[in-house]
This record gives sequence, structure tokens and C-alpha cells, in this order.
Amino acid sequence: MEGRPLDDIALVERAKNGDVNAYEALVQHYQELAFRVAYQVTGNAADAEDAAQEAFVNAYYALGRFRSGAPFKPWLCRIVVNEARNRRTSAQRRTVLAERALVAQSSGDSAQSPEDAAEANEFRSILVATLQRLKEDDRLILAYRLFFDLSEAEMADALNVPNGTVKSRLSRALGRLRAALPADIRMPSAAGASDG
Amino acid sequence: MADPTRITDVQLERALRDLGPRYPYPPTPNLSIRVRGRITAQPIVRPRRLDLWRDPRRLALVAAVLLVLLGAAALANPTTRDAIAHFFHVQGVIVSRQPSPLPSLPSITPLDLGRRTTMADAQSAVKFKIAVPAELGDPDAVYVVSSIPGGEVALAYTPRPGIPLVKQTGLGVLITEFRGDLNPGFMGKSVGPGTTLEETSVNGDPGWWIAGEPHMIYVEVNGQGQQVTLRMAANTLIWEHGGVTYRIESGLSKAEAFRIAAGLP
Repeated sequence: MEGRPLDDIALVERAKNGDVNAYEALVQHYQELAFRVAYQVTGNAADAEDAAQEAFVNAYYALGRFRSGAPFKPWLCRIVVNEARNRRTSAQRRTVLAERALVAQSSGDSAQSPEDAAEANEFRSILVATLQRLKEDDRLILAYRLFFDLSEAEMADALNVPNGTVKSRLSRALGRLRAALPADIRMPSAAGASDG
Repeated sequence: MADPTRITDVQLERALRDLGPRYPYPPTPNLSIRVRGRITAQPIVRPRRLDLWRDPRRLALVAAVLLVLLGAAALANPTTRDAIAHFFHVQGVIVSRQPSPLPSLPSITPLDLGRRTTMADAQSAVKFKIAVPAELGDPDAVYVVSSIPGGEVALAYTPRPGIPLVKQTGLGVLITEFRGDLNPGFMGKSVGPGTTLEETSVNGDPGWWIAGEPHMIYVEVNGQGQQVTLRMAANTLIWEHGGVTYRIESGLSKAEAFRIAAGLP
């Protein structure tokens, strides 16, 4: 899901001229990002799917207003989040917490002892649950930076805030996440605690 | 005093990066096919007919339709028909010249091209050999109307480099083919002062090149004249060969339209 601005610019230009194949290539490349960003807002797969699909259709018809050469990814994120917010209800917010799934184990974890792996997994589950309790703005900025790898400029664009405020917003969101974690939580030996 | 066992910002950032690829997302659905369907389907075709009588906003168009239908009615008189057929020598098409500018229609009026299908199915539904221009290759979509004598086929091409989007159709190029010899009043064209109407010859057969300001086109849908579609059309090359009338609508120049026509009968 890494950025590839040059490809995007060419594809967006072709799509602007009505080339639906070019737009389909953009959708294929960004559908995972769009769906996951939407899911961070809705917490519900059906609404996230609906929001992401609608966002792609709306973005296509808005291409005429999209500035040539501008980055596509943050612009898409903004449309996705708007669509996702329109679909979120308080009832869905509650299902988020009820639906909480176990965090998938990566293959890298197989090198750990079963105890370490279980501890790391438990820690991740607590992180997911705590993120879901955060305010949406905090969750989004953390997700943009640490899950979806947006640059600071892209985050400013996606969040529609001045460039200079992104760092401080990110740091405040991180602080609130830490404050929301259980008081007795400790870094597990295997989940990002070690250097390197 | 800082608690040395408390998690630091750096550790928390690292933990989140570690979590990212393992976050319990539901599987990503394949959106591209559905999005593709919606962005191609929307401008190209909607499965409803233009109902002139039910929608009050369209009543204003009725006068314009009548103008064109008057031309069709003239065909009922054999003497007039011969005169028109001689002058407008493309069977199945009536072209009438209007002295005043045409009323404007919404830029995207449903095209009502018929039922979307495969090339093989379309071929089995019409009574002529469907011609596909070599210049463009296989169409992006094929539509067929089987309710008129001999049937009608529409080949739709989406815009691409060198083939601009046509606002009136939402397409790059639209080619229609039908048995003009069996459908004398099938298609009517009303041409205003801003449109040029030029007699021409396509591959040795008589035809017309209509360009400039969009012109109005009406097409009989069910062969009985009871249902028509009415819309504005872009530059059009139209000609007839062996009883089949061919029509190419696009935003292309005359020379480019002729290049496409060269690959057709």
C-alpha cells in the first residue's frame, strides 16, 4: 500500500479523460486502504464496504474538480471518511466493542515461545480495544501514520488541517491512547519492546 | 517522577506499527468490479424509457418531438417518401433542417440502446451481419434491440487516448446498425442552424456527415412509433450499404470518423 505518486498521477489523468480502465486500476490499488480507513470509522464491515464503494464512485465523478498532479491517496481518504461518517450510528459503535476479534498472529511470532506469543497477542488485543474507545479523530490520525503510512503532508491533506499541526496532533493522540490503556499494562517482551 | 515501567511514546509507536499488519480487519471486498459497473453503467445506459407524457418537465420537449415526427409522417405519403428518400438517401433516417435553434435537452438523456448482451447473442438476434470497425476493435459493450424489423445493434466504446468523451452519450464512440430498408421512419434527425449537414460518400455509398452544434435525434424503440427516445447527438456519420444503415456518433473529426467507417461495409 506504499505511495506511488507518479503512477497515480498518470492514472488519474487518464481517468479524468474518461478512461475507466485507468480508474479501475486505481480502485484495485486503493480498495484495501479505502475499506480499512472506512472500517476505522464505522467499526462495521458492511458499512465500511458500502462507504468505500460509494467513495470510489463519488471520487470518479469529482475527478473534474481534482487538481492535476495533486496526491490521490489523501484526497481519497477524505472522501472515504466522509462517506463512512455518514453511515456510522451509535448502535454500530456498540457492536464494534462487542465484535472485537482476536488479533491475527503473524508468521514471525512462531519463533517465540508460546508464552511470549500469547503475551504479545494479549497486548495487541488490549491496544485494539483501547484504540476503539478513542475519539475518532485520534484513532484516524494514529491509523494514518502508523497503520497506513501516510506522510505528514498527506495526513494534513487527508485530515484537512494545516501542515504544521500534524505533529502535535499526532503526539496528543498518542498521549491520549497511552492514558486510556489499563494502568498496569507493561510492554510485552515480544511486541515492539525490543530495539531493531 | 516518571515510572520507569510505564510505556514510552516511542515504545507505543513501535507497538502500533507492529499491530498495523495484524489489525483484525474483515477481509477486503473486491470493490473494483462493482465500482466499474457503476461508473460505466451510469453515463452509458439506464434501463428506462424516456416517458414524454408522465414527466411534466419533459412536456416542453413534446413540441420538438412533434416537429421530427411530422417528418416521419410525411413518409406515409408515397410521393413525399420518394422525394425524401431521393433527397435524404439514407434509408431509415429522416433528416430535417430547422430554421431556429433547437430547444436544449439535458446533456445526459438515457440512450436506451436496448438490452446489453454479448456479441454472439446480438448477432443471433439481428437479421444482418454485425460489422465491427477494425480501427476500434471489440466494443466495450454491445446492446441489441430485437423489437424492430431486422433488429438493431449498438456498439459502445468508452473514451480513450485519442477518443474524447462525448457529453451527450457518456461514451467515446457509439456505432448503431439496423435494417434501414425495413424501418423507413426508424430514426429522425432535426438539425438546427449551428449544425452543418453535408452530403458525402462512405466507401462509395451515399451518406451524411452532421457536425457542429449537437443535433436532435429521435429513435423509435418498439417499431410502432409509440415509444421514442429523444436526445441530443454529437458529430455523426451516417450511411447505408446493402439495406443496413450505419451510424457513427463521436466527438471525432470528419477524417477520423471516416477512418473508422473505412473498416465497415
